Amino acid sequence: MNPDDKALSELLRRHATRHVAPPSLHAGVRTQVALQALRQPQEGAKSRRWTRWTRWRERFGARWALAGWSGAGLGFGAGLLCAALALPLWQAGWQAWALQPQLVARHVHALQAQALVDVVSSDRHTVKPWFQGRVDYAPPVFDFAEQGFVLAGGRIEHLRGSAVATLAYRRDRHVIDLYVWPADGAPRTPEHHVERGFNVVHWADGAMQYWAVSDVERAQLDQFAALWRVRAAAQ
Amino acid sequence: MNRPAFEHRVLPHLDAGYNLARWLLRSDAQAEDAVQEAVLRAMRYFASLREGDARPWFLGIVRNACFSAMERQRHAPETLEFDEEGFARDVAAAGPGPEGALHEQQVRARVDAALRALSPPLREVVVLREFEDLDYAAIAHIAGVPVGTVMSRLSRAREKLRQALATLEGR
Repeated sequence: MNPDDKALSELLRRHATRHVAPPSLHAGVRTQVALQALRQPQEGAKSRRWTRWTRWRERFGARWALAGWSGAGLGFGAGLLCAALALPLWQAGWQAWALQPQLVARHVHALQAQALVDVVSSDRHTVKPWFQGRVDYAPPVFDFAEQGFVLAGGRIEHLRGSAVATLAYRRDRHVIDLYVWPADGAPRTPEHHVERGFNVVHWADGAMQYWAVSDVERAQLDQFAALWRVRAAAQ
Repeated sequence: MNRPAFEHRVLPHLDAGYNLARWLLRSDAQAEDAVQEAVLRAMRYFASLREGDARPWFLGIVRNACFSAMERQRHAPETLEFDEEGFARDVAAAGPGPEGALHEQQVRARVDAALRALSPPLREVVVLREFEDLDYAAIAHIAGVPVGTVMSRLSRAREKLRQALATLEGR
C-alpha cells in the first residue's frame, strides 16, 4: 500500500545529517541518573504508583514527609493557600466599597471649589499630554462633543496615596467626572452604584479601569460609558 | 529506579533521541534541553517500561518533550526555508577542495534543507522511518496517531522531498 521509496530512502540515509549527542549531553544525563539514584536509595525495581501527588511530594515535599510533618505542613500550606486566594478578593471588594464614597467626595469637592479642571481644554490633544509627568501612566482621552458630552478638561486627584487622572465632561448643566487608573488586567463590564444620590458607573478594559461619577440620569451615564467603551475598543 | 537497568536499557538510545530532538527543534541547545527533560521523565516512568526494546519508548518521551518545547515557543516559525544565499556562501567559503568533497557537502546541505522545510509532523515520521528504521506500528505509537495517518504522512512527506530533491535523486 505504501511501498518505501528506495532511491529517496537511500538519499536520506546516506546524505542527511545524523545528529550525535554532544559529550556535554552524555555527561549531563549521567549526572542526572546518578543523582536520581542517590535520591531513591534501595528502591530497586520495586514498582510504585506515580500519581501526580506522589511526584509532587517527591519533588517538593520530601523533607516534610521524612520528618513526619506532612500533615502539619499540609494544613499550614492549605491555610496559606486559602489566605492567598481569599485576600485579593476580599481586598478588591473592600476597596470598591471604600472607594465610591471617596470618589463622590472628590467630585463634590471639585464642584464646590470650582476646581473642576486644572487644564481647561476641549481638545483631547491638549488634555492627554498634560497628564505626562503628573501620573505614571497614559490615560486615554476622548471627546464626545457630537454626542453631547463635551470634554471640559482634566485634573489630578489623590486617592489612597496615588495620583489619579481625572477627566471632566459637561452634559448640559451637569458635570461628569471620569477617574482613570491602571487595571489589574481583567476586563469588567459596567456596574452601577448609587452613592448619596450620585450615579457611579465602574468598568475596566484590559489596561485601565474607569469610574464615572455624576448627577446626570443613570441612562445618560450609561450612554457615556457605552460611548467610551466603543471608542476605546476602536483604538 | 533501578540505575544499572536504566543505564543499560535507555542510555544507549541517547544518540537516537538527540537526533530526533535536533531534527524537530531549531538549535543544539533546545535539543539538549529536550533530551535532558526526556531522561528525567524516562527515569520517573521507568518502572512502567516492559521487557523488550526501550528505544521506541524513549523516543516517544523525547518526541513529547520536543512538541512541548515547540508549544512553548509557538510564535517562532516551525520550519526553516532553504536559504539559497547562505548556502551559496557556505559553498564559497568551503573554498577549493576535492570535487567529491564539495559535491558531498552540497548534497548534504540540500537534503538537510529539504527535510527542515517539512512541517514537524511530517519531519518526525521521516526521521523515525529513515533514520531509526522503525516500523509503522512503532512510529504510530510514538507520534500518538493511527498507523494509517503515519502512512499518509510518510507518503506526503516523500512527495515533498521528491519534489525538493528531484535533481539529486539517484546519485
